[in-house]
Amino acid sequence: MSLYGSAVKRPIMTTLCFVTVIILGLFSLVKLPIDLYPDIDTNSIMVITMYPGASAKDIEQNVTKPLENSLNSVEHLKHINSTSRENTSVITLEFEYGYDIDVLTNDVRDKLDMVKSVLPDDAENPIIFKFSTDMIPICLLSVEANESMSGLYKILDDAVANPLARVDGVGSVSISGAPKREIHVYVDPAKLEAYNLSVEAISSVIAAENRNVPGGSFDIGSNTYALRVQGEFDDSSQLASLPVASVDGRTIFLRDVARVEDSLEERTQQTYINGNQGAMIIIQKQSGANSVEISNKVMKMLPTLEKNLPSDVKIGVIVDTSDNIRNTIASLVETVLYALLFVMIVVFFFLGRWRATLIIVITIPVSLIASFIYLFATGNSLNIVSLSALSISIGMVVDDAIVVLENVTTHIERGADPKQAAVHGTNEVAISVIASTLTLIAVFFPLTLVTGMTGVLFRQLGWMVTIMMIISTTCALTLTPMLCSQWLRLRNKNSKGMLWYRPIEKALDKFDDGYAWLLQKVVTNKTVTIIICLGIFVGSCFLMKHVGTEFFPTQDDGRLGVNLELPIGSRVEEAEASMARLDTMWRRKYPEIKVQSYTVGPASSDNTYASLSDNGAHIISMNITLTDPGERDRKITEIADLMRKDLENDFPEFKKAQVMVGGRQGGGMGGQSTVDFEVYGYDFDSTDKVARDLAEVLKGINGTADVIISRSDYQPEYQVDFDREKLAMHGISLQTAAFYLRNRINGSTASQFREDGEEYDIKVMYSPDKRTQISDIENITIYTNRGQGVKLKELGTVVERYTPPTIERKDRERLVTVSAVVDGVPMSQVVADAEAQMNSIDMPPGVTIQIAGSFEDQQDSFSDLLMLGLLIIILVYIVMAAQFESLTYPGIIMTSLLFAFSGVFLILYLTGHTLNIMSMIGAIMLIGIVVKNGIVLIDYITLNRERGMGIRTAVVDGGRSRLRPVVMTTLTTILGMVPMAVGSGQGSEMWRPMGVAVIGGLTFSTILTLLFVPTLYCVFAGRGVKNTRKKLRKKLLASKKA
Amino acid sequence: MQAIFISYDQAHHQNIIEILDKCSCRGFTAFGNVQGRGSVKGEPHYGSHAWPSLAQAMFTFVEDDRVEKLLNALKELDESKPKLGLRAFVWPITHTI
Repeated sequence: MSLYGSAVKRPIMTTLCFVTVIILGLFSLVKLPIDLYPDIDTNSIMVITMYPGASAKDIEQNVTKPLENSLNSVEHLKHINSTSRENTSVITLEFEYGYDIDVLTNDVRDKLDMVKSVLPDDAENPIIFKFSTDMIPICLLSVEANESMSGLYKILDDAVANPLARVDGVGSVSISGAPKREIHVYVDPAKLEAYNLSVEAISSVIAAENRNVPGGSFDIGSNTYALRVQGEFDDSSQLASLPVASVDGRTIFLRDVARVEDSLEERTQQTYINGNQGAMIIIQKQSGANSVEISNKVMKMLPTLEKNLPSDVKIGVIVDTSDNIRNTIASLVETVLYALLFVMIVVFFFLGRWRATLIIVITIPVSLIASFIYLFATGNSLNIVSLSALSISIGMVVDDAIVVLENVTTHIERGADPKQAAVHGTNEVAISVIASTLTLIAVFFPLTLVTGMTGVLFRQLGWMVTIMMIISTTCALTLTPMLCSQWLRLRNKNSKGMLWYRPIEKALDKFDDGYAWLLQKVVTNKTVTIIICLGIFVGSCFLMKHVGTEFFPTQDDGRLGVNLELPIGSRVEEAEASMARLDTMWRRKYPEIKVQSYTVGPASSDNTYASLSDNGAHIISMNITLTDPGERDRKITEIADLMRKDLENDFPEFKKAQVMVGGRQGGGMGGQSTVDFEVYGYDFDSTDKVARDLAEVLKGINGTADVIISRSDYQPEYQVDFDREKLAMHGISLQTAAFYLRNRINGSTASQFREDGEEYDIKVMYSPDKRTQISDIENITIYTNRGQGVKLKELGTVVERYTPPTIERKDRERLVTVSAVVDGVPMSQVVADAEAQMNSIDMPPGVTIQIAGSFEDQQDSFSDLLMLGLLIIILVYIVMAAQFESLTYPGIIMTSLLFAFSGVFLILYLTGHTLNIMSMIGAIMLIGIVVKNGIVLIDYITLNRERGMGIRTAVVDGGRSRLRPVVMTTLTTILGMVPMAVGSGQGSEMWRPMGVAVIGGLTFSTILTLLFVPTLYCVFAGRGVKNTRKKLRKKLLASKKA
Repeated sequence: MQAIFISYDQAHHQNIIEILDKCSCRGFTAFGNVQGRGSVKGEPHYGSHAWPSLAQAMFTFVEDDRVEKLLNALKELDESKPKLGLRAFVWPITHTI
């Protein structure tokens, strides 16, 4: 018995099977985590190697180069970037997407083991560091405090950071802006010298005194006692009375030579939130954990944590990335629901029967819900891609059911019993239903094979739609006939219930007649029709030039990141003053700003998040959260533009200024695109010059902003040139001398002061007023092995120099990157303008320029997608050729693709959208959808011909009778996309181009297909008939002759 | 005893079995999925792309007194659903085993 036969015979089994699927699907839905994108595995590994004391050039030559040469042979490597700066070499290996990062890490480790022996002896072992999107903080909390400011770090660490770090899934919690307690021993160099003491001597005394030493155990009588010496300080004030030396029988205490201050770290990052100083708590998630879930837990915990804090400490939220995720998903869910409603209305409009409508609409939830099982089983999440897949499919999953229902209805109207009609009606169309699903699968399944970053996104889309299509076809072949057999009855055309539908039916009949009339005209004037249609296609090709291309649309997630840099070497106070001005100005000028926070100053080394990003006394990073996109008139890009103008006009002191939409730069998805021009060349001067010229060129181009040269300036610094001969004479090594210098200025960490289970550094150094002049450095006393003091100026000279900047390399060549944010115009236009003007730059020999950044990603993805499009067209052709058993008909049907692409370009041009990854995907989907219309039409025309009609009658009659199904399935797809195309919710920028592309392409191609395909069919069928006649005539003549 | 050959659209099958039951005719031999077309205007039943519907055929051998009733019932069925098609032909049986 056939599938549909048994389904009709066993309605309970069939119903329960689908009920099971729905229950499992709903169960999966409840369990599904929410996220913005499908899981994107990391594809970068960093190798950090320290080589203390080496200059950037030494690092490049001795560490970076050998490492790069060895690491270059790791498989699946896409790019190898490196920066060599003083003391450190950082190599970033960028791999192709889609490979297991753990395997790659092992490969990298093996290569490093091999090359280790080549590295300089003093170089430390290279450290491997996996970088991933998980490093991006999911929550930034603000902390405002007044009286508690001095003890804020400990308060936050104990009462907030530690409890939060215990939350499942939280990776690390860092506190910035709250300085840590530190005990400073500020020595007076003159007094030290008087007592013949040194910083080192004091450090070692403190270290030796601040000790708890176990003395073993001893027995008294029948008991054993432990013996201990408890020398650790209970109070920082005890330090002052520590005896440090004995001179002429007098005891010298620490207070005699130094000032002990129990205070805060000297150079720290300061955070301001909405103008008030405070702290920031940065929460990062563990790799693979779900952001929304963690942020929910964190937000739930906050009120309880706040209760334990002193009353002046207030915690707020600066950035909660899950907000954006939740809002985006919510607006997409709304889109899906609207699509469902529209499809329902269309089906009802065309069928005019609520039972039939219900039978068809039921396939939507069944197919959609079933796909949740797939998501759950494969560990995926509910994200933009999976929900877009739902939205796309809504219009398509009903098509099969419509075809089946229509044929079953025909059978019933011919008089068959509903049960018999359901079985036989389904049987007749089963093959064509499966074939049309196969064409769609031929489109969507290859999406699962795309590689690269686009692949990560579209693999899920491909799988989702493929699965939904298979389920909907199964549904159409089992559930639909079963429901038809149960619910459908022979319709009495004169019944009262149908009265209201009669005008609609009349209108639809008129529509059919009108089309038949037009078709008749068109097929009698074949040449004119073909010329007009092709003319329209060729004409639209010219539009291609005017439709710009870009990578991903910019998303308005209400977040702005601002990076500002004062000239190198500026004091923190300078930055603070400028920022105070900027902060008040922006908060007054832009009422859209919800929270504005910024951080100035160098990060302390134990702040994981801050130390990974650029920091320094002259660098300011700013985070701005705007109100929700729906609540404001100005778009995020407009605000960013105004801010850029403000920075340019009112704040000339900032040497570099970047305003980043979405809080990140050119990150592909969501942020504003960047075009990076990579200037390759070995010589610093020539590449610097080219980079500067290029930056000028870019600044002059319409639509660029934030033009930045990656190589920083030569940094002024003081260096001490020791005279090795003199050092040798005194028996001092250069290292010893250097350490003396470091201990006095930077301070030496003598020991740790313990209190309440916390440890605080005790630092010995020159008091701040004794390290403000070069003479202070020159007068540093260095002690020889014999205890003899020598002034630094006798051993060397202090000179002012400029250190060469960081050396950046990519793919083993030195480069400077000039990057520009693309703003307001399509990326392709900026690149074209830049390329045209680049010729005017005087290029020294050995210097080359390459374009990278979002543009490179876009080019890669576009070529991937074009290849994919080609593959899909071939597959679809194969499926159709197999179905029709003809090579001509599929060719005729395929011509409708031309108009689909025309339509895409036309609508992109009219609506001002660009061709980006999302609209490309829309265009690729069109291949399947558009071809389906052609199949329906040609299938029926051939049927008519097989029934013995002449070509023209077959075409006109076929067109007339297939018009409604074609228009109906097209309308369901188009209206299913409308909410996507016009949605204005958060994140709608992402999918709007896709919706627009599908609507434009489908509308345009359907209208033209309905005229062009029948005409073309007439031409080819006519020629076929002529050929057969010719052959027959020849045969006849040949037989006559014989 | 008479032989009745009934050829009909396969959608009729269930109804014809019912008619046989009603007329107390127990025995029959049916051929599923057969092709055919009517002599005058009957739509072809080929199970092909152009003519997807299929016919069924049935032999039933009934006592003489039931032939009339059966034919009437079949005629009624045919007339109630003119688009489906149903024909019956009767001829005498001379020998059986």
